[in-house]
Amino acid sequence: MPPLSLAQLLAATLEGSWRAEPTPAHVSAGELASVVPMLVGSGAAPLAWWKIRHTELATTQAAHELREVYRYRTLRAAIQEREIEAIFKLLARANVEAVLVKGWAAARAYPEQGLRPFGDLDVCVRAERLEDARRALDAPESAGVQVDLHAGFDESDERGFEALHARGETVRIGEASVRVLAPEDHLRLMCIHLLRHGAWRPLWLCDVAAAIETRRDGFDWSRIDEGDSTRARWVACAVTLAHVLLGARVEGTPFESESRCRLPRWLVPEVLKQWETPFPASQAPMRYRAPMRDYVRRPRGLWRDLLSRWPNPIEATVRVGGAFNELPRWPFQLANCFGRAARFLGGSTHAAADSRMKNVLTRGGV
Amino acid sequence: MSERKIRPLARAEGLVVRELPEEVLVYDLDTHRAMCLNRTAALVWKSCDGRNDVAAIARALRAEFGAHVPEEVVWLALERLSRDRLIAERVRRPASLAGLSRRDVIKKVGLAAAVALPVVSAIVAPTTAEAASCLPTGSACTAPAQCCSGACPGAPNGTCL
Repeated sequence: MPPLSLAQLLAATLEGSWRAEPTPAHVSAGELASVVPMLVGSGAAPLAWWKIRHTELATTQAAHELREVYRYRTLRAAIQEREIEAIFKLLARANVEAVLVKGWAAARAYPEQGLRPFGDLDVCVRAERLEDARRALDAPESAGVQVDLHAGFDESDERGFEALHARGETVRIGEASVRVLAPEDHLRLMCIHLLRHGAWRPLWLCDVAAAIETRRDGFDWSRIDEGDSTRARWVACAVTLAHVLLGARVEGTPFESESRCRLPRWLVPEVLKQWETPFPASQAPMRYRAPMRDYVRRPRGLWRDLLSRWPNPIEATVRVGGAFNELPRWPFQLANCFGRAARFLGGSTHAAADSRMKNVLTRGGV
Repeated sequence: MSERKIRPLARAEGLVVRELPEEVLVYDLDTHRAMCLNRTAALVWKSCDGRNDVAAIARALRAEFGAHVPEEVVWLALERLSRDRLIAERVRRPASLAGLSRRDVIKKVGLAAAVALPVVSAIVAPTTAEAASCLPTGSACTAPAQCCSGACPGAPNGTCL
């Protein structure tokens, strides 16, 4: 059997790691050591420690590094809960209704909060209250807290803030009431988010797996299919990816049958390719060297930076509203680039530009 | 009050504490230091309620571990906890134990002891473990899309607003 690639080792290390008692990892001490930088750099180190903590690997130097991150993230999770409490109290005081997504909300599906690290707090508010929210958070209580404020829900905008907010649920953190999405809506949002960003972070796929496996009785799968059918198929693909790459248990879900989402042959290799460098600095937009407008005045380095802006096939497919099928991806990648170029040149919105390109592609039969 | 009758009090303010099955994790919000207390150090720390003296803390350890624990172990722990600002007031061991080293304590406790020596270690974790999707205010940036605010004045050598 050929040796596993680093990305495959990463997947093997993380397989089932979100469970309370994961099965031991089928990797050697040397193999584990080889993926430690990827685990640490992508935020998956605590999960890797969790997976190996009761095995012989737990005494290795690689495990020591993972355990240190696990300890640190366990403390950070406690601190971040205080920060969330402070932020939501400020927003409540300003009468701004907000919903917390990804990060902490995703971590609720894990056995311990520290297993799912997050840097910033993704807080969604009504578009018309965005400025009020900004002002509310411009207070000493929120100093040093990284808040990523969103106008609406980027990944589920077609459903509208009102509907998603209304069927969400409220959880208590300290003295604050924190609104989170309904589990079905959050799963959908996380699936689309991971594809929209090219699925480069393995942790995002763990989020999907953890959300599916910890779903409550009465989880309403029909909500996934509501609205845009293309998006519903994206969700099916993301769940199937979690099953194929990380061993997520999909029994009892609509995704049990392979026919629900037959993954195109290019998709799994593409995700593994992304996982070879699962570091923020290697991914868009962090890898951009300068804003495009700078190259208008000084074109030196433009070609190199243009290459760094070439989208990965998964990201491009989602950004132009395409389907995951066996057709070549370059038209989607090209369409996405044209859309961004149009936005840059004409000042049109990203969405509008991508929408135009989507129409072009649809008419062209792609 | 004699040195041996010291009744240490664990610091409670400005700390974030998480108890794990085998250890206790502490984050000092003042110094931004993360620490890990092994079981012995954690037990000593938890026993520092302002009422227990060293002998009482040693008895508590004995009850927990089911083995004889000399007071020297407690002093060693208190000194370390005090140095890491986890005790409300500075603790110094008595003059009679001034020259006592960890090696001396190991000899006294015995190699086969069921009790581990108290350890308070700094947690050293790489900052890349963060999983933020955008850069916070004040971070170096090369393009606006990298910043949570969407603004990177001075790019490509800018700072996120």
